[in-house]
Amino acid sequence: MRRHSAILCIGVLASFALFAAAKPGFAQDKVIKIGGLFAMSGPGSYFGVQDKQGIELAIEQLNKSGVNGYRLEGQYEDSACSPLPATQAAKRLLEQYKPHVVLGEECSDATLAIMPLMEQAKVPLLNAGSSSIKITDPGNPWTFRIMPNEVMQGVDIATNAYKRLNARTAVLLYENTNAGIGNAKVFADTFKSLGGEILADIGFGRDVNDFTAIATRVAGLGKVDVIPTYTLEGQGLRITQALAQAGVTKGGGGQSIQLGTIWLPFGFEQKAGKAALGYIRIVQFDPIDKREVVQNFIRSFKAKYNQEPTHINAHAFDQILVVADVIRRGGKDSQSIRDIMAMTKNFSGVTGSVEFDKSNQNVKMDTIHYMETLPDLSWKALGWN
Amino acid sequence: MLTVALQQGINGIVFGSLYVLVALGLTLIYGVLVQINFAHADIVTIGAFAAYFFTFVFGGNYLASIGIALMVGAALGWLVNAAIFAPLRERGSELLPLIATIGVSILLQNAMLLWFGPIPYAFDSPYSNKVIRLWGGMFITWQNLIIIVVSALTIALLYAFMKFTMMGKALRAVAQDRETAGLMGINPNQLIMLTFVIASALAGMGGAMLGPILVLTPFAGTSVIVKAFAIVIIGGFGNVEGTIIAGLAVGLIESFATQLVNPGLTDIVVFTLLLLMLAVRPTGLIAEEREENV
Repeated sequence: MRRHSAILCIGVLASFALFAAAKPGFAQDKVIKIGGLFAMSGPGSYFGVQDKQGIELAIEQLNKSGVNGYRLEGQYEDSACSPLPATQAAKRLLEQYKPHVVLGEECSDATLAIMPLMEQAKVPLLNAGSSSIKITDPGNPWTFRIMPNEVMQGVDIATNAYKRLNARTAVLLYENTNAGIGNAKVFADTFKSLGGEILADIGFGRDVNDFTAIATRVAGLGKVDVIPTYTLEGQGLRITQALAQAGVTKGGGGQSIQLGTIWLPFGFEQKAGKAALGYIRIVQFDPIDKREVVQNFIRSFKAKYNQEPTHINAHAFDQILVVADVIRRGGKDSQSIRDIMAMTKNFSGVTGSVEFDKSNQNVKMDTIHYMETLPDLSWKALGWN
Repeated sequence: MLTVALQQGINGIVFGSLYVLVALGLTLIYGVLVQINFAHADIVTIGAFAAYFFTFVFGGNYLASIGIALMVGAALGWLVNAAIFAPLRERGSELLPLIATIGVSILLQNAMLLWFGPIPYAFDSPYSNKVIRLWGGMFITWQNLIIIVVSALTIALLYAFMKFTMMGKALRAVAQDRETAGLMGINPNQLIMLTFVIASALAGMGGAMLGPILVLTPFAGTSVIVKAFAIVIIGGFGNVEGTIIAGLAVGLIESFATQLVNPGLTDIVVFTLLLLMLAVRPTGLIAEEREENV
């Protein structure tokens, strides 16, 4: 009897195994390996923490039913927002994990450093947060970017500053990196071509701590309408506070308006406090967007992490959605993922829509949302795009 | 223009004072042990976090948190010396403790990364955004005023301790010639421990005052320590007076370079000065007397 039972059990198990093998979409034994190169340490590490949250949420949701018979799997390396560690991390990821597609980095210098490695390994790199024009111009066939590049952003910000804010004078504050210098230059060129004047062009290293001296210099320049600022969160906080203390910006009783980019995470205003009053910046994700994909994302994010999602969470989530979209359209290995991704059109994600041009740059501008900080430190969507 | 120059002078003295506090710890350890302590930066960071948590998690007073950070720094200095550096020194190698300071630094950074996370903390003291408006548009925040006053008092007390107390004189004796000081009945090991405790206490205290100024992450101290090393060299290895002068000078140079040139060039200015000092006067601004055994 016992023997019969054992045979019966083996038979049932074997039937399940055969059934599972015959239904790959159900078993999800085929895996798409997704590598992540994000800063987990150093001044840009808030990117990595938030990227990971967005990616894991998306993978968890998609793996419930699988994507065209594939299960998604992710592995991360700390690329530290800096070229050398990013290169080392990319080599480790490619050699040890052998991903089909890689996401990252956030910082332009790091992205530029890993791009040749991805091209050499013929693994597509999907970038969501770097703005340097060099990433897609000239770029390489294996690198894709979701967010508008520094030229698209800079022209848009400068034009809005001149035409909508009636700004005629500006002071540029930026970190001395590819992205910082590039963004500031595009703003300056556009603003000057419209008739504006750049009163000072102030670059600084990431090791600068004391921004009171910089704020003093800005205060001594006379009437400054706008101050485009290109920094990571930590330095950005101190700059905003120092400008307010020096009485330059609205938060300190002055008239100047600080303009910022997507580099800053959500919650920046709460950390900066009253000094952030009147700050206008672009974000990649508008939490009051009524589209179902956005509201679903917000609900599921809150359920998983018990916190409000940020735009960094959102663009990381979208990176996975873009990869999933490519797999649904037949992507199964690095080459086919690259080829199909290049043909992406009318993809609609949480941050906006995606359509890649010949240089693999997303041409859609609806991923940019302008927000103004109100006295209660909440945001007012300006609806400029 | 005069008011801008005066304002940059104030800014320079504020940051210079903090540089002095951090650099004094380094120079004390170098003076006594002829050793560079790479973990000093991380004690600065831990001091900043200690003040942050005391103020914001336990609801303590910010001014009291400076004292707490001082004690946390002192305790950490004692612990690190007793557990790691002292046993390594007993083995007679000068290289091992130096390498150990790098190891301790990495260990502390990663421990902080694990405990506190990588996202920058918004450490604003109740005095950070309270501004005193002065003549001609000049200003100083209460936080910066506290930095100047507390730093000046601490530096004066340390100077008096080194110059006028028996223990301070014994410390200087050990710094000049450890063996002869030992023959005179001074216990060098106790004084080395005292040096570590004082240096780390200064670092912790510096961290508590730097916290509301710098970007508080587990790596915060490293951005200050590079300048502190330069100050120790410019001031004269192991020399307290030289370190004070050099620290204030570097703070002022940075402020005026920001005004006149570009903040991106301040490091070039400071380190050019460092190279010039090494080329022209390798002993630093004030040379420390040290016995040479022949």
